[in-house]
Amino acid sequence: MSAALTRTRIADDVFEFAVQSPKDAQALAQQLRETGYAEDVVAGLDRVAILFHPDQFEQVDAWLSGIEHVPSIEDSAAPLIDIKVQYGGEAGPDFAAICAALELSQDAFISHHTAVEHVVEMIGFTPGFSYISGLPDTFEIPRLSNPRPRVPAGSVGISAAFTGIYALAGPGGWPLIGRTDARLFNPDGDVPFLLRPGHRVRFVAA
Amino acid sequence: MLRVLKPGLQTTLQGAPRLGYRQYGIPYAGPADVVSMALANRLVGNSRDATCLEITFGGFEADAEEACSIALCGAVGHLSVSGTAIAAHETVHLNAGERVHVAPPAAGARTYLAIHSGFQANAQFGSTSTYLPAQLGGHEGRVLQAGDVLRSTKDGAVYSQTLQTPDAVRPTYTRAFALRACEGAETHLLAPDSREDLFGATFQSGRQPTRMGLALGGHQLRVSSDGKMKSAPVFPGTIQCPPSGVPIALLSDAQTTGGYPRIASIARCDRHLLGQIRPGDQVTLLHRTPDAALRDFKEKQALLERWLLSGRT
Repeated sequence: MSAALTRTRIADDVFEFAVQSPKDAQALAQQLRETGYAEDVVAGLDRVAILFHPDQFEQVDAWLSGIEHVPSIEDSAAPLIDIKVQYGGEAGPDFAAICAALELSQDAFISHHTAVEHVVEMIGFTPGFSYISGLPDTFEIPRLSNPRPRVPAGSVGISAAFTGIYALAGPGGWPLIGRTDARLFNPDGDVPFLLRPGHRVRFVAA
Repeated sequence: MLRVLKPGLQTTLQGAPRLGYRQYGIPYAGPADVVSMALANRLVGNSRDATCLEITFGGFEADAEEACSIALCGAVGHLSVSGTAIAAHETVHLNAGERVHVAPPAAGARTYLAIHSGFQANAQFGSTSTYLPAQLGGHEGRVLQAGDVLRSTKDGAVYSQTLQTPDAVRPTYTRAFALRACEGAETHLLAPDSREDLFGATFQSGRQPTRMGLALGGHQLRVSSDGKMKSAPVFPGTIQCPPSGVPIALLSDAQTTGGYPRIASIARCDRHLLGQIRPGDQVTLLHRTPDAALRDFKEKQALLERWLLSGRT
């Protein structure tokens, strides 16, 4: 059983729980969605926000008062997905600088990044953008001080110790290490999103 | 059926928000000014979120290729049909061959053009609303262009009534906006004097307001963020404060999560006004407790619904 939850009102029509981990955030959000009083439930990396209609304030407040702990969920066998990445060069304009800052050779970084099994912690920001953990916590890569007005779809970036994949072309503040051809968001496909929170990811050097 | 002659700066089809997909990173989209769209739809007998045209800064012109009934609400400048001035907030019956023109408004940013039965549009993820960054919904997921043909869901049908929006619910816009707002999740990260300024200073809307966000410049705030804040949920109405100290108010295309301190939130009752703020407009935030803000919403909602639901069974 995890620690008791704290809940705050972050807008006139939004409550928010603080939790310990992305996994807790996903588990709590899932549980809250199943209850169905909310207009929307959105998980951040360590927060879960509940948007409600003002007419339902009393019901929602009473409902959430009864939520005291993050539900424990069974670790199910999550799919393992290979993502091919072309590291460095034109595809990863910040790769050399990141390796230099980490005092790693480019080959050493690639072996690091491809050796471990990563986990999708959250989908957010824009459609399909995936926050993927797996790098050592000692990696503290800062965001670019001047975000790029446009990064290509499939761009792979690093921020703090997260690997992020831009599913769409658009503005981007994460330093870029490479690019993948994998299509993370396919609105017309049977499975619009390649990755879901909890999925395991293995990066493969292209 | 309308054929677009001049699309204006940015005209898109907008309907209901795309609810339930923020967990996949998909924003709500929908009208930047939900009240004006509801009022326009009411005048042509539609439900409040039937698909409409959202016209930004006017400059729109289209020909009716069949008889139809339309209405224009929101920011209004000179409006005309085949050269004759028409009024906003009134049902307008167009004959085939007539040309509707929407000139740029002097105040306010977005005009809503509703058509009886609603426009046909591409529904994706449960909504017809256009979300431009991912090319979802609307007319091929894009802004309208000259030559586009827009059909209504019952082409050729006209509305049997001619209505006017009652004065009591007719919004007017100036170049200054006072918006009710509540403290946010990270208001405490503002320096004490900035916290006072948040609800006292006059901000100036930035040069490039979009459907995603609106910069509140002219009065820099000091925010003590260690930069380690983890990405947290944000919604339309959330005001984030990046290290630059220039707060950003989020609109209907708001991203789903963000890593900047959430210093305030525009109250739900006034969120629709964000869609009418132009570059350079003055913006002040009026402090409300969350409970007071909800009471204000219910008051506004009751007034609006008396009209929106009147004459319906």
